[in-house]
Amino acid sequence: MNEIPISRERTSVAINKNQSLILSFLSMFCIFALLAAISNGSYPISLLSILKGGEDSIQKTIIIDIRLPRVLLSCFVGASLGICGAVLQGLFRNPLADPGLIGVSAGAALGAAIAIVILPPGLSESLTGQLLLPISGILGALIVIVLLFSVTKGFGGHSTTYLLLMGVAINAIVGVLIGVLTYISTNTELRTLTFWTMGSFSGATWTLLLPASVAIISSIGILIPTAKNLNLIQLGEIEAYRLGVNVQKLKTRIIICCAICIGVSVALSGIIGFIGLVVPHIARLLGGVSHKYLLPSASLLGAVIMISADLLSRIIIEPMELPVGLITSAIGSPFFLWLIFRMRKHDY
Amino acid sequence: MTIKSHGISLLINGEKIISHLDLEIIPGEITALLGPNGAGKSTALKILAGDIQPSYGDVKYNNINLLEIPIVERARLRSVMSQSQTVAFDFTTLEIIEMGWIHENNESYSDALEEIITICDLHSLLFRRFNTLSGGEQKRVNFARILLQLWIPKIDNYSRYLLLDEPFTNLDIFHELKMLKIIKSYLSKNIGVLIVLHDLNIARKLADNVTLMRDGKTIRQGPTDEVLQEDLLSKTFNTCIKVNDTSPKITFF
Repeated sequence: MNEIPISRERTSVAINKNQSLILSFLSMFCIFALLAAISNGSYPISLLSILKGGEDSIQKTIIIDIRLPRVLLSCFVGASLGICGAVLQGLFRNPLADPGLIGVSAGAALGAAIAIVILPPGLSESLTGQLLLPISGILGALIVIVLLFSVTKGFGGHSTTYLLLMGVAINAIVGVLIGVLTYISTNTELRTLTFWTMGSFSGATWTLLLPASVAIISSIGILIPTAKNLNLIQLGEIEAYRLGVNVQKLKTRIIICCAICIGVSVALSGIIGFIGLVVPHIARLLGGVSHKYLLPSASLLGAVIMISADLLSRIIIEPMELPVGLITSAIGSPFFLWLIFRMRKHDY
Repeated sequence: MTIKSHGISLLINGEKIISHLDLEIIPGEITALLGPNGAGKSTALKILAGDIQPSYGDVKYNNINLLEIPIVERARLRSVMSQSQTVAFDFTTLEIIEMGWIHENNESYSDALEEIITICDLHSLLFRRFNTLSGGEQKRVNFARILLQLWIPKIDNYSRYLLLDEPFTNLDIFHELKMLKIIKSYLSKNIGVLIVLHDLNIARKLADNVTLMRDGKTIRQGPTDEVLQEDLLSKTFNTCIKVNDTSPKITFF
């Protein structure tokens, strides 16, 4: 008989050795990327000076007030988009599900766009105005999700398909509405709108970063323990129920956490495409499909890729800056095509 | 301690899919559901599993209404094997089997897994991707998964149930006999079995009780030999069926 021994220590809650190795490598990469992104830019600062907290007051200002919030924001947004992509692909059992695809990012974008255009110019500079942006983003994302939820409930077993189709429709509607907003907006608003719909971390400030990081980290903390049930749901919702999963509860939990993650991310940095789609697939190719490994690895990998993409956007045409969404889309869209070809070959 | 369904009916868009079905699954016994295609056998099994709510009647597990049992607790009382299983993403066979482990503690996990994989003869398939397995192999893997779901360290007074929807289709004769043996060996563990079947010979060999169904109605219910009568079977299946005392016991033309 062909005997493959099962190791004694192996338990169903753990991940295998290979996967924990990948996770520790990703954590190291993440720290490395953080340091590299703080040190490089139009004003290079050596690693040694960073560890000292800046040699002089100029360096201190650049590190503390400019680089650090920006790099941390890209880290949190990357992690949040990475894990949301993985969780939504798992929940919908669809390798193409993505926060952008089901219309949640678009909803958040619309919420934030409305806030930009409607708020009087003076208010948008103040603290209340700044905080209103992520809040209206979360509201936009939530409205889309609640709408999706209430509409798809009646479709029963086919809800996944309808959810994706609804996403297509919502994306189209939001496209129209943002188009209208662009048309009626003033010149200054227009510049904010376009720059922001392409995605950028240049506006990062501590005032926004602190509440955003709390929201994102706690959502990720709630999402990671759903890994086991997400695995079971890959057998189908009925099978998951038969194995003791309260499917409706799981869906609600995942959807609310995703709304918070995506709403905050989009409001603070604009729509950054393809991270939610590409990152989980790379993580799966590296170490397997089990969500116990996939969820942490997608957050780490998302963070690494986003920090690197933002660094690239800052140094590629120095001293000018590219919108980071341009870079992620440039890398992500060929990957998307490759994914479709691969799917056709394997006939999922 | 049984699973009992009392007078269950299911109406979908005004059409009666199941009418007035009484079923009882008794620990230590095998109850078979027989009938032509579209008789409502699988639907009946789904109602007993709690997948579908019946329009009328109720399902009781060990005298407690199924609706009052929490979803997690239901998973410890019964496991269900579907006719076919699709899975999104490329999970390995081992990962699929592991999904059956729903218990909180992991102390006996390795023992349970080793035992189940050995009795189901799955060692050679463990690290293959589930989606690349043949239909028969996938059946065997799912069977292992639902056995793991009901695994307990030692036999107790807790009655549990296996609900199997055509478990033998796509299996070769060796693995069919093997699965038959495993199912029979589980009867002594205070486990009751409900099995939807198409092969009348297997039903005769395996089942203690048979419920014969057609168009959602119960044609006859009782001990296997009483139900598997020539005229009754011939009428229900619209085919000339003969029951012999020598083997094979049932032939059809």
